[in-house]
Amino acid sequence: MSSGLFGIGLSGLNAAQAGLLTTGHNISNAATPGFNRQQVLQSNSTPQLSGAGYFGTGVDVDTVRRIYSQFLDQQVVSSQARSSELDSYYAQLRQLDNVLADPSMGLSPVLQTFFAAVQDVATHPANAASRQSLLSAASMLDSRFELIDNRFRELRAGVDADIQSTIGTVNTYASEIARLNQAIVLAKGLSGGHPPNDLLDQRDRLVLDLNKLIRATTVPQDDGSLNVFIGNGQPLVAGVDTLRLVAVRDSQDSSRMTVGFQTPGGVTQLPESTLGGGSLGGLLAFRAQALDATQNALGRVAVVLAERFNAQHRLGQDLSGVLGGNFFSVAAPTVIAATGNTGNAMLSAAYADAGALTASDYRIAFDGANYTITRLSDSTQTVTGALPATLDGFTLTLASGAFAAGDSFVVRPTRDGAAGLSLLIGDPARIAAAAPIRTAQAATNTGTGSISGGSVNPPPPVDANLQQPVTINFTGPNTFDVTGAGTGNPVGLAYVPGQDISFNGWTVQISGAPAAGDSFTVGPNTGGIADNRNALLLGALQTAMLVGNGSASLQSAYAALVGDVGRRTNELEVTSRAEATLLGQHTAARESFSGVNLDEEAANLVRYQQAYQAAGKVLQVAATMFETILEIGR
Amino acid sequence: MRVSTNNLFEAGIAAINRQQQDLLKTQQQLSTGRRVLTPADDPIASTRALQVEQADAVNAQYGINGKAAAASLGLAEQALAHGIGALQNVRARIIEAGNGAFGFKELRSIAADLRGLRAELLGAANATDGEGLYLFAGYQAGAKPFVETAGGVQYVGDDGVRRAQVSASRQIAVSDSGADAFMRIPQGNGSFVVSAAAGNTGNGTYDLGSVTDPALLTGADYRIDFTVAAGVTTFDVVNVTSGATVLAAQPYASGAAIEFDGVRIQIAGAPANGDRFDIAPGRNQDIFATLDGLIGALEGFSADDAGRARLTNGLTTAVGNVDQALDRLAMTRSNIGTRMREVESLAASGEDLSLQYQQTLSGLRDLDYAKAISDLTRQRTYLEAAQQTFLQVSRLSLFDFLR
Repeated sequence: MSSGLFGIGLSGLNAAQAGLLTTGHNISNAATPGFNRQQVLQSNSTPQLSGAGYFGTGVDVDTVRRIYSQFLDQQVVSSQARSSELDSYYAQLRQLDNVLADPSMGLSPVLQTFFAAVQDVATHPANAASRQSLLSAASMLDSRFELIDNRFRELRAGVDADIQSTIGTVNTYASEIARLNQAIVLAKGLSGGHPPNDLLDQRDRLVLDLNKLIRATTVPQDDGSLNVFIGNGQPLVAGVDTLRLVAVRDSQDSSRMTVGFQTPGGVTQLPESTLGGGSLGGLLAFRAQALDATQNALGRVAVVLAERFNAQHRLGQDLSGVLGGNFFSVAAPTVIAATGNTGNAMLSAAYADAGALTASDYRIAFDGANYTITRLSDSTQTVTGALPATLDGFTLTLASGAFAAGDSFVVRPTRDGAAGLSLLIGDPARIAAAAPIRTAQAATNTGTGSISGGSVNPPPPVDANLQQPVTINFTGPNTFDVTGAGTGNPVGLAYVPGQDISFNGWTVQISGAPAAGDSFTVGPNTGGIADNRNALLLGALQTAMLVGNGSASLQSAYAALVGDVGRRTNELEVTSRAEATLLGQHTAARESFSGVNLDEEAANLVRYQQAYQAAGKVLQVAATMFETILEIGR
Repeated sequence: MRVSTNNLFEAGIAAINRQQQDLLKTQQQLSTGRRVLTPADDPIASTRALQVEQADAVNAQYGINGKAAAASLGLAEQALAHGIGALQNVRARIIEAGNGAFGFKELRSIAADLRGLRAELLGAANATDGEGLYLFAGYQAGAKPFVETAGGVQYVGDDGVRRAQVSASRQIAVSDSGADAFMRIPQGNGSFVVSAAAGNTGNGTYDLGSVTDPALLTGADYRIDFTVAAGVTTFDVVNVTSGATVLAAQPYASGAAIEFDGVRIQIAGAPANGDRFDIAPGRNQDIFATLDGLIGALEGFSADDAGRARLTNGLTTAVGNVDQALDRLAMTRSNIGTRMREVESLAASGEDLSLQYQQTLSGLRDLDYAKAISDLTRQRTYLEAAQQTFLQVSRLSLFDFLR
């Protein structure tokens, strides 16, 4: 409302004051994170009609608006979600990388010491000190596997703890957003349409912070509130209501924590694949892609070493002449029942062929008729009608009970391999360095035939008749008979120099030119303390291609595991740095639009101050004019 | 483009952070001397370095195995040298004993010498390594391989050969079977053995014989029967195995060669009627049995013609067998020598390989100091520049000029 000059001056003063207030507000909040600078919107008032024309009536302050671009803000938010995810994934990977970084703390030196000790026993098979150092080296190998595996377990526990605390913070933000929704709706209603800028800024700030934890999309509502959605459409905040997230044990696999939400009926689990973005997404991606794979790979090295070493050890003979037993003990593959199973099946798993093991986990599900076994690394499925079933080096057997339709189990063949490894032999004399059989040629032989030392055929267990004495009699230069228990006593066999001759689980080769009447014997290796044949075969395992169906040796499998972690970390470093740069650019764009420039505000201060002074002058003139009118009447 | 004050500060701080990160990384590299601090720095180099490390360790292990092998082989070679020395003395004694002028006393003393040499040979055969394990016992190295029994020396070891892995593809035998070295030695001239029947009364002596044509050898047993009738000595050669008479009523001349079926022997002296000489295909002898036989012949000497002929024949047989044994021991010893040379050359190439591995590892993991130091200087300059410019830019403010 205007009343002449006085009113005009007053409106100008008010406008200038509003400008000064807003400028002061901007300056004070220059460093407030997420602050969008505010601007006074003023327009000229409705003109008044008089005989001489329309006269302006001063200025109206329309509103204070914030300089805010939804597009720019959205860019920052989604970039932040990606950047936080990559940063969190990278940070976790760096820890994993550091576990494997120091070469002297890794597996290699201990593995090499172990095999050096095996070679030492091969060189001095009867020496008690050499045997004892093999046991010490084996024990050190076992401890080192456990040490590295423990670090992995610590990281895993850390991930679980981080998931819990992140979910707690998400819930806090969600309830804050809901509270702000209520306040904004109220404030908007009270003011009749003026935007409550600072509350809006706070809410946007919370959404950004939320996206640092988990990707959240927002949909503004007409009444001014904001609905927030996570995952594949779960409403985290709807108006003033929030969804409460909880950390739950995975129903498929009770050894890990995952995310679920509270419903009146209980807790519903959210599928991990939908929870991308933010540090939570980074944690889940780290666990599923890097940690699981690495721990499995280490376990696989341990299992293959133990199984193959055991297999060769059982083909040998120890210092007292007893056949070798298992050198290492290995835990059976881990089997975990899903919590929702209705049947009472107890599934057990055992190793069949360590060389065929992969570093993947598996799920077996029963649909009522068939069992479907899925390899989780590449999702290939195998369908079988009955158990036991063998694939990829392990066998699944139904120990008791039966599956109900819909039941499923998770099988982890190699996850606990490193932790479950332990040394079974405590007595150095029980190391099987010798072979259980030896050969001899009769002193009366006249030909030039010679017989090889003999070897035991894999795999264990050895033939029951392995150590039965067997005689090979040459009836002529090219034929021989075999006599001995378990051989079947064949006669008239053709002789080919150097060809394998195999009975009762052993193999020998005869070469040269035996004469008629020559004989060779194969028999037990009693008293053979200087025999190192089995120790040589054990030593050869160091460079043999044992892992992954003959594609890698133990050392190269471990090196591949280290290289994999290194490669991932390197990749993540590059991508997280790139994403951080992108985030920086988006933030800069937003800032350049909405951010406070102190120099600009300083200029505004000067402007509004002068406007205030000028408007004050107008008031002064108006007052002087009034006095003049009053003077007339005196 | 409008720049907000926050932007100014954040951009400046971000630049300083980046430079600090790089500087820290270079500093860590310099202080550890390693280019690859974690596998993330160079995943391919890390993987490769682990594999080269193993190859280097395996190679070093082969070197250690080679040294141990050389030590074992050296001990065996020494024992064999010892045995060869003893046998050479035996041979000298045998030649001495052939001196026609020696009588019972001298031969007795030679026999005593031979007993001593036999014991020496037995000691060499039962040689041990430094840890109390027998060298020539095969796999049963805890028990003495050559034991004295009532019937002579018996070998109770086995034919086992211990091997050492001295390179990726080579397993070398580090022990030799005692049976092969001392027991399974060919007799006579290697193909057949001549002997005189115990009841011979004449003084015919034989030589070791030789093979004229290996293709004609039948491997059968033969008998040469002498008949003296009316001052004329004739002999028959009968193939005992087939029963056929090969040569009949041949006139006998002392020292003349008798040839049949690829066999040639010479008989000298004057065999009596009914004397018999046997020819059998060569079997295996053990040197101790030979020595025992020789000692028996020396000690059982009787000074008559037939006795002297028996001694001569005994010495002839013994010389032949001892020569074969010397050959066998010398061959075994030279075999060991060959293996020791092989181990030596493998050790030399193993050292070369080790050097290469070290170089590869260094190339993968070690820091190029010159480059790193110049990087450090460069990054320090950048950091200083970032800090200085930040200070300058952040100091500029309009408020400074508003009164």
